[in-house]
Amino acid sequence: MGAMERPATVARDSPATHGAASGARTLVIGYGSPIRGDDAIGPLAAEALAAGSLPWGSRVLARHVLTAELAEDLAAADRVVFLDACVDGEPGEVRVRELAADASAVSTMAHFHDPRELLAWCETLYGRAPRAWLVSVAGRSFDYASYRLSPPVAAAVAAMLGEARRLIEGPPPP
Amino acid sequence: MSRTVTIDPVTRIEGHARITLELGDAGEVRDARFHLTQFRGFEKFCEGRPYREMPALTARTCGICPVSHILASNKACDHLLSVTIPPTAEKLRRVMNLAQLTQSHALSFFHLSSPDLLLGWDADPANRNVFGVMRQDPSLARDGIRLRQIGQTIIEMLGGKKIHPTWVVPGGVSEPLDTVKRDAILALLPEGLEIAKRTYAFYKTLVPRFVDEARHFGTRPTLFLSLVSPSGHLEHYDGVLRLKDANGRIVEDGVPAIDYARLIGEAAEDWSYMKFPYYKPLGYPGGIYRVGPLARLNNADTCGTPYADVALAEFRMLQERGPVASSFHYHYARLVEIIYAIEMMERLLKEPDILDARVRARARSNRDEGIGVAEAPRGTLMHHYRIDDNGLITWVNLIIATGHNNLAMNQSIRQVADAYVDGNRLQEGMLNRVEAVIRCYDPCLSCASHAFGEMPLEVELRDASGRVLDRLRRP
Repeated sequence: MGAMERPATVARDSPATHGAASGARTLVIGYGSPIRGDDAIGPLAAEALAAGSLPWGSRVLARHVLTAELAEDLAAADRVVFLDACVDGEPGEVRVRELAADASAVSTMAHFHDPRELLAWCETLYGRAPRAWLVSVAGRSFDYASYRLSPPVAAAVAAMLGEARRLIEGPPPP
Repeated sequence: MSRTVTIDPVTRIEGHARITLELGDAGEVRDARFHLTQFRGFEKFCEGRPYREMPALTARTCGICPVSHILASNKACDHLLSVTIPPTAEKLRRVMNLAQLTQSHALSFFHLSSPDLLLGWDADPANRNVFGVMRQDPSLARDGIRLRQIGQTIIEMLGGKKIHPTWVVPGGVSEPLDTVKRDAILALLPEGLEIAKRTYAFYKTLVPRFVDEARHFGTRPTLFLSLVSPSGHLEHYDGVLRLKDANGRIVEDGVPAIDYARLIGEAAEDWSYMKFPYYKPLGYPGGIYRVGPLARLNNADTCGTPYADVALAEFRMLQERGPVASSFHYHYARLVEIIYAIEMMERLLKEPDILDARVRARARSNRDEGIGVAEAPRGTLMHHYRIDDNGLITWVNLIIATGHNNLAMNQSIRQVADAYVDGNRLQEGMLNRVEAVIRCYDPCLSCASHAFGEMPLEVELRDASGRVLDRLRRP
């Protein structure tokens, strides 16, 4: 498959909600920079997911980064699926792993956070954290001012969406 | 024998920087410097681009306060077009600016500074972070998250995106506000105001603990620069420039923002990539001034909203006479401004013309030089462009809030170091106070990299020959 062409002006921060936002129990957050090549796969996949049919009560967000205020959204959900690019692995390789809250997974940046850190915020502040999974795709190119996914990563979008749908369409977490 | 202490990186600020302290033979502080160690060159690489790209380009200067750059840049573009934007567009831009101020001040207070304020400078560094705050006062931490969420949500409702929204355009805004969005934003504000008032009331109880820090965290005299409204009220979007001296005497007033260059000169030093703006009539480095929440409250005659004006009156009681001098009280000023921002957003959104569909003036470029000035959360932000006949940028000058405060930050570090640093023995709490004075200014050094509290920190004390006399390491 060739590289995925995409405009620079896609509104990746617009939330797409299926069902009442206040009653949403499944949250999908795709995150990454839209101008750094394969790092954009998270928000692109989130937008593709939001464009299709989803179980009632699912909520999908596309973000550049994970910010502090998302802790409240996470705490209101029963399950959360994060979609992100990663730097290790064969380009295009899709991996799924369950995440646990981890207060030591502190970002070195003041304005964005590791998903495990935000889950730890949930536990500490709201007394509960949702079950959470990270679906990641290994990237090949993270160049600045790059608006294309590399071919192996573009080819992995369908598999990433498949894993995300499997997680959100499955039975509710115990 | 002279020695140098280096604090690298400075933590819980936005960007990468280091501090060096030069010590004399007896361990006394001879000099203190705040170094910006990154070079970015935004002004240069914007040259040759169409001026209409400038709002989007310069917004990338910062992932923390892109709205501020978008507003200042679009104001410079309005100037290039020679248009007066529709009144509704101005009000909508003001709302977005105040939402940005709310979320930015919330991040600064709750996440970056509260570990110091709540847990103390001498607390174990392993606990002196946002998790320590959450454990000690979870309701305060929840309030911080919620207040930031309210600010970000308003930006997103108006601009379509939380970060780098493209809704503000040269000549106004691209879309009018509709009733649904207006009502949704208004519905958020009462909760925001309650949080702001609750936090302010709580912080007032903390202030007496910090008498010593307030006495040493940047109390040496400076001028204060900010926008004020033409009638002297607190102002964040437009208005005129006012400069007040340390005794409260107004030395410049009613200066149109486009005449900023008459007041402000810029010097450079070979040990930092940040420029050193100064007040021209007093020369460099004597023309030292501060911008940001502290300067804005010192300069404004009133806030113009009920709760914020009560808080402003209490703010002025922090000092017996004259402007509030201590940079430690930037924290206090931020909380007053959050109250103001929420009150003012409500007022603007209830204006009868806020839903007017006429929100954009259209024109081609009608002059070759444009200047836009607005108050960012951290202080006065200036964008100045020149273009050629084809509308391409030929020259750019950006003076950001943190740059305005550069001389003052260096002076403040020196003062804190004089008070707390014992050069013969390094202590975590002592050095953290040197860092903490920088956090008072909430400097935003770049959007490319942002250091946080858990970043490894190593401080070494060496003699002139390079021999390590003492070392502190934060894992």
